[in-house]
Parts: sequence; C-alpha cells; structure tokens
Amino acid sequence: MSKLAKPKVGYSRRSLLKASGAALAASALPAPMLWAQDTKDIVLRQFGTGVSNLNDVANKVKEDLGFTLEMTALDSDSVTQRAATQPDSFDIADIEYWICKKVWPTGNLQAMDTSRIANYDKIVGIFRDGKLTPESTIAQGTAPHTVGFVDGPGGTSFATGETGWMTLIPTIYNADTLGIRPDLIDRPIESWTELLNPEFRGKASILDISSIGIMDMAMVCEAMGEIQYGDKGNMTREEIDKTMAIFTEAKRAGQFRAFWKTFDESVNLMASGEVVIQSMWSPAITAVKSRGIPCVYQPLKEGYRSWGGGIGLSSSLSGMELDAAYDYINWYLSGWVGGYLMRQGYYSAVPETSKNFMSENEWGYWFEGKEATDVITSPTGDTLAQAGEVRDGGSFFDRMGSVACWNAVMDENQYMVRKWNEFIAA
Amino acid sequence: MERRPRSFYILAAFFALFVLFLYGPILTIGILSFQGPQGGLTFPMNGVSLHWFRDLFQEQAVGDIWGAFRRSFALGLMVMVTTVVVSVMAGLAFRKRFFGSGFVFYAAITSLVIPSILISLGVGLIFNQFGWRIHWATSGFGSQLTWTLPFGLLIMFAVFNRFDKSYEEAARDQGATAWQTLRFVVLPIIAPSLIGVALFGFTLSYDEFARTLLTAGSYNTLPLEIFGMTTNVTTPVIYALGTLTTLFSFSIIGVFLLAVWVMGKRRANKGSDPGKAV
Amino acid sequence: MASRLTGNRHVLGWIQALPLTVVLVGFLIAPIAMIVAVSFWGATEFSIYPAFQFDNYEFLFSSPVTYRVFGATLKYALITWALTLVIGFTVAYFLAFHVRSLTMQIALFLICTIPFWTSNIIRMISWIPFLGRNGIANQTLISWGVIDEPLEWLLYSDFSVILAFVHLYTLFMVVPIFNTMMRIDKSLLEAARDNGASGFQTLVHVIIPLTKPGIMIGTIFVVTLVMGDFITVRFMSGSQRANVGRLISNDIGLLQYPSAAATAVVLLCTVLIVIATLLRFVNIRKEL
Repeated sequence: MSKLAKPKVGYSRRSLLKASGAALAASALPAPMLWAQDTKDIVLRQFGTGVSNLNDVANKVKEDLGFTLEMTALDSDSVTQRAATQPDSFDIADIEYWICKKVWPTGNLQAMDTSRIANYDKIVGIFRDGKLTPESTIAQGTAPHTVGFVDGPGGTSFATGETGWMTLIPTIYNADTLGIRPDLIDRPIESWTELLNPEFRGKASILDISSIGIMDMAMVCEAMGEIQYGDKGNMTREEIDKTMAIFTEAKRAGQFRAFWKTFDESVNLMASGEVVIQSMWSPAITAVKSRGIPCVYQPLKEGYRSWGGGIGLSSSLSGMELDAAYDYINWYLSGWVGGYLMRQGYYSAVPETSKNFMSENEWGYWFEGKEATDVITSPTGDTLAQAGEVRDGGSFFDRMGSVACWNAVMDENQYMVRKWNEFIAA
Repeated sequence: MERRPRSFYILAAFFALFVLFLYGPILTIGILSFQGPQGGLTFPMNGVSLHWFRDLFQEQAVGDIWGAFRRSFALGLMVMVTTVVVSVMAGLAFRKRFFGSGFVFYAAITSLVIPSILISLGVGLIFNQFGWRIHWATSGFGSQLTWTLPFGLLIMFAVFNRFDKSYEEAARDQGATAWQTLRFVVLPIIAPSLIGVALFGFTLSYDEFARTLLTAGSYNTLPLEIFGMTTNVTTPVIYALGTLTTLFSFSIIGVFLLAVWVMGKRRANKGSDPGKAV
Repeated sequence: MASRLTGNRHVLGWIQALPLTVVLVGFLIAPIAMIVAVSFWGATEFSIYPAFQFDNYEFLFSSPVTYRVFGATLKYALITWALTLVIGFTVAYFLAFHVRSLTMQIALFLICTIPFWTSNIIRMISWIPFLGRNGIANQTLISWGVIDEPLEWLLYSDFSVILAFVHLYTLFMVVPIFNTMMRIDKSLLEAARDNGASGFQTLVHVIIPLTKPGIMIGTIFVVTLVMGDFITVRFMSGSQRANVGRLISNDIGLLQYPSAAATAVVLLCTVLIVIATLLRFVNIRKEL
C-alpha cells in the first residue's frame, strides 16, 4: 500500500507543478478520485504554537488532499510538554528544532524517509548540510541540520550528515532581531547592546523562553564585550553564570518593563508603547504595523538570532494515516503554505515552490529585498507596506546569511534552566 | 418604613465602588470589543464597529473558539450534575457521623486548599506513567471535580446545619420510608440551595484553567484555547466573546430573578401548601 | 438482611459518601502520592526516571531564590488577605444588615458574580489597557492634572499583581462572611442597641465575634488561592515577579517534573500547615 502510494503522489504533484502555473496547480491539485475516497475519513491531529497552526492551512488541506487536519494551538511550554509526554495526543507535531533536540530521545517521533519527499532536493541548505550557500559558515547554537537527521528509521541519536532519514521536515524559519519603535527612539539603533542601554530603562523587554532568551542575552553580552564565549550555543556553567549576572543586575535596576512569553504579549507591549525596544518575532512586527503604529525589525551589526520549525510525525502513525501524513508533508512543501507564511514575514523551506504562489511584487519584497512596486498585504488582507518600501534587513540571503546563532539547547541545559528560573524570580 | 441611617449611604457607596471595581475590566472589555477592524487589544480605539462580533462567528486564524466552547459547556454541565448528586449524597452521609467521616472530611478540605497546579501535575503524571490517554472528559473531568466537590460539600453543610429535623421526624411518624422521606421531604426543601451548588459547579468548571492545563489532552477547553490563541495575533475577538458572555449571564440571571418573582407571586396567591408534598 | 445493612448508619454513610471518596482517592490522594514519589526521581533533558535521591530537595533548599520566592508568596497572600478581608467584610455587612429584602440581596449578590463568567485570562489581559503607561487610568489622572508623568508602577508590578488578586478573590471572602452574618439572630443586635451600645460597639463586640467562622473560612479560601496561583502573577507582573506556583509551572514547562514535584511538596506542606493552624480556630462543619 505505502509503496504504491509513494510514487503516485510524489510524481503527480511534481509534474503538475512543473507543467502548470501556480493558479492552475492550485485548482488541479485535488488527488485522484480513488485516493480521495480512501482518505476523506482520515483525521490527523496536529499541534503547535499559533505561529503556524493556522486554520487556513487546515481548510486548504481538506480542499486539496481530502482528509481532515485538526489544529490545536498551544503556548510554547505546552508544546514541548505535549511532544515529550503525551505521544497519544497528536499525529503531527509542529515544533522547533531546539525542542526536537529535547524530544527526539523520548522516541515519540518517527524518522521520515526523504525518498518519499518530492521536494527534498529543493529544501534550502540550512536544513541539510547547514550551509545557506556553499561558502557560508555555520552559526553557533542548535543549528537545524545538527538535529535534522538520524541514522535510520529507528535511530535515537542524531547523525552528522544527510542520511535519508529526517527528524523534522522544515517548514518555516526566520532570522530574529530586536524590534524597535522608531517614533519613540529617534536615533539609529545598530547593536544588540542597546537592549541594556540605560536610556531605555523600564522600556525594554526580552522573552521568557529560556532556550531563546539565553541566546538573546548572549548576543547582548558579547556585543558589549563583557563576555567572550567559546561557543554561545553551548556555554559553560561559568559563562551562563556571568551572562545571568549581567542581566540580573539590569533587571534589578529596572531595565525591563516586562518579559513576554507569548507572541501576543510582545505585540501588545510594543503597540501600547509599554516598551520601545525588545526581542521580537517578525510577524509580531507586522501585527504592530498593521495597526498603523510604526515598528522596525532592526538589523544589527552583530547579526541575527535564528530559529527554525518543522513538522514531525508521531511514532504511532502507520498505514494509511502515515501515507496521508507524507502527502501532507509533500503538500506542505509544494508551495501554497510557503507562500502564505512568507507573506507574513517568515521563510519557507522550499522558497522556489512558494514563488509560484506569490505575486512578483510580493516575492520581490519579502524574499529578494526589493522595493515594493505596489501595496503589500498580509494573507488576511491587512496592509503591511506601501509601494516603495523595503523589507527591514533586505533580502533572504542578506538576512539568513548574517545569522550569528540559533536557538539552542546546550549540554548544560538543566543548569541553565535553573539559572533562568532564578533570573525570572530575582 | 424606617429611615435609613447615614451609615447605609456610606456603605451603599462603598458597595457601588466595589461593583465598579469588579466591572472595571468588564467595561474595558466592553468598550474595546467595539474596536474598528484595524484595532488591537489595547487603547487607542481605532474606529468603532461591530466587526469583531461578526468575526467571532467566523473561523479564526488560529484555534477553534466554538469547538472549545462546546467542550467547556459540556464539561461544565457534566461537572455541574455530578457535583450536585455527589455532594447531596455526601452531605447526607455526613449527617450520619459514620465511622471514618473525619478522614473523608479532611481529604475534602485538602482537596479544597491544594494548589490547582498540583492536581494538574499529579494527575498528568499518573496518566503519563501508566500510559493512559488523557482527555478533558476523563482526566480533566476528575481534576475539576476535586475543586467543585468540596465546594458543594461545604454548601451542603451550610444547608443541613439550617435544616429543621422535625420535618423528617414528622414524615417518619406518618410511616414514610427513608427513601420517601428523602424524596418527598428533604430534597424539595433543599432544592433551592441545590441551584446554588449547580451554579457554583458550572461556573468553577467553566473558568477552570490550572486544573485542566495538563489534563485536557488533544482538545482544548475554552480557557486553554484562549491561552493558546495568545500565541498568535490575538484580536479583539476575545473581547467580543467576553462581552457576549457577560450579556448572556445577565440575561440568565434576569430570567432567574423573574422566575423567583413569579413563583413568589403565585405562592402568595395560592397560599402555601406544605402538605401537598407528602 | 438488606434492611439491616441499610439500617446501619456506618454502612449507609459509607455508601452515600462513596462517590466523593472515590473521586478524592483517584484525583487527590493518588496524585499527591505520585507527586511525593516523583519528587525523589531523577530527570534527564526529556524524561523522568524512578530513583530515590534527594537532589531535587537539595537544590531547592540550597538556592537563595527559593526562600525569596516563598517569602514573596507569603507576602502576596498576607496583603491580599488583609485587603479582601476589609473589603469583603464591608460588602457582606452591607448586604446582610442594610439590604432588607431577600430578593434584593440575591440580586446584588448575583451581580457580583457575573464577571466571573468571563474567562480569567481575558479579564487579566483587559487590565493592561486600563493600567498601562498610556492606559485609561494614567490618561485620566493626567487630564485631571493629578500627575504629569504616567505612573509606571500601575502595571507590571506588585501593585498590579495584588490588584488582580483582590479583584479575583474578594468574592470568596464575601460569600462565607455573608453566610455567617445571615445566621446572626437579629434580636441580638436589637438587644445590644437597647442596652445602649453604639453602632460601632455592636460591630466590635457582637457582630465581629459572631462572624469569626465566616472570616476564617474566607481566609482559608483566599490564602490558598493566592498561594497556589501562578497565572495571575505571570500576567500581571509581566513575568517580572515570581511566586512558588510560577516556579512549579516553569519547571513543568521545561519538563523538569521531579524538581517541580519537590517544590510542589514543599508548597503543599506550607499550605497545609497554614490551613491546619486556621482550622484550630473554627469548626467548619458546625459553623457553616
């Protein structure tokens, strides 16, 4: 069954995509009748944060593939928890790579056969050999390719190269930096050090998710010249202590207005003017802007902190449902979702397929860093940019090419987590 | 009628302030739920519209408000009925001062005072270690009962402490069996308080967050869903939901008061007839 | 046989109490036992394994943060208790002694409960536009000329945390106090007045002593709710403050269940000791 299904789906989609334009592909995609009858009763349960667990995606899946995808949106703590402790509660896990590093050893996820993934060859290098372009150097931290492969279907430890068995299929990723309110800070911001600048006392914020927050801290401490890290993505206890000490001192001095934990909190902090500089995610900037409030995703000279998300399959998936899950993955990489997410400011794992689902103007603005030739709108229709505006940070290669570190799970993670807890309580 | 003392007005003013304080956030919610289509969760208002009320009945970008609402509502009803039945039974049991009642009582008190997250954690751990599947209607349901049952029990204590035993004795003297006494004498008398128990049970369950956090399984209850929705752009839709909830509660209470008023009128017209019950 | 069985009050009592007992054993006592057991277990990055070690407690008791956080938790509980008591008592007193018709009492009472139907989280989020730097409160004060600069401490501070606590939990104080007040024989008050006691003297010497059980029960509610909270502190302090509940929930979020369990055990003991002390002053079963 599964052997039969594999070439059929992969093949038809690829040839169709090549043969026809984007619009045609979207309407011609519905799978053959026989197939649809089998799959229409299948229900796959996916969970993840609200970042990518979008109902629009589930609806499009129903339309294109015929089966039902149930989406549950959770906060990031619950996502880790569920992936690690409740393998029965999901079929598809939409998680970040650093979470994968924690969760994979539990055996709750199964490795995916890359030969069943039609667009595998087109996935950007970051997720395969770690290099964006053949010349790039690999950033510090838990880079996706380091936890992206295992030795075989039952592999428990991560492999160093491309083995044909993937842990997560990359879906979206981005390069993060500080968000600022240019109307309330009327001077250029160029460095991560500004986060601790006393000028912004009581108007700064970072996020309260340890694996991400610690990397922001490290970027700041390194930029200040206070600490020279051996490897930011894998700190020693001493480095962790020093980093925390600097931030604890700043916290006691009232530098931070709040710490945010959910996407929404960051939007509200910024939109209401409670903070003017904070670590932020790209669509949060978009959300602030769509309310008519100026907000810039400020590129900084030290580079970006990057993250990547992907979907993993529950180890309990088998038979028809597993086939459906592979169909879903193939569909995910075939462009529609990519285009949808890229129009929010994220990047798709297979940019070239997403291009088919974006207008030339959108592609130019979001991916190539060109001036918008017309109004740029979000997938939900909010205006994000006017003609003539340029994306903060420029093109895909400019932004992803200056990634300084990835969100990380370190060897000393447990120690770091305890210290983080102390920092929050301090 | 006796003239009100000055203290009445001072206290009435205090009470009014208290109500204002309670409704402060509700007012903010009420105002902000009329945000314009481009508006956010905070001030300033970005135009005025009914956009978000319409939006509430359409699909959201993330999450499934109505699915979660249906689950929460069903769970609330389950908890409500169970709470009423179990606490009445337990209330009756405690009147008998049975052997070991002290133990059950202190367990109930512990259940009342234990931090919610501990129940969540413990139940989650048990289900996890035994490989059971957690679900809002099993693990979630049980966890919520540990919060509503002690409440119900306390209310039953209050009810039975005020209960005049002579009614029961009278029934028994006239040859009613224990079951008949319960069915036709005790239950009708305590019935109004049971409405209170039911209301408490439903409200506490409907709004419960911590106890369901680790015990809800694949599908979210409403509070969890709202929390989950905050991981993406949260729109004033949740305010529209809050406003509608408040209006809905007002109408329920209005109906309830009207019923009490009508019943009171009817009773006054007919004259009381306690003998009818037996 | 059957009648003898049902006739025995112990047996019948147990039968009637059985559903309650089953729920409590399954969802209270078993989880507590589990937490106690797990608090001695070990944890890796992603899983927990059975062991018998004191590492979790050792770390807990050796960290100065633990003591600070427990201190903060008690501080929140104490301040919230004092405020809810004063407000709750006054409100209950008004409802019980100044509102004359029962229907009116019930109506006013229900009005107080309506806000509780709107999700806690929504209500907490909605404080932010009210108290924020550009919120209603600050703008109003500035337009009145009371202040020139927005007050920063209105939001994301101890103030906002306690405000939210008082907002959420005062009703838990009002209900039991109102309940005991309704049981006070009105003729006692008349007797006091006839004997020449002033209103204040009646309050102090008659009403307050008679209301003590209600106050105690309300205290138990408020203290335990505040001590067990984690979400209010997180939202209202903008994650800047911590109480024990947050310590536990952070650990849970990071999959450090044994460490969370150890903290939970200590918290549970603290709560139970506080409550046991309070229970010495009141017989709940009789006084309700």
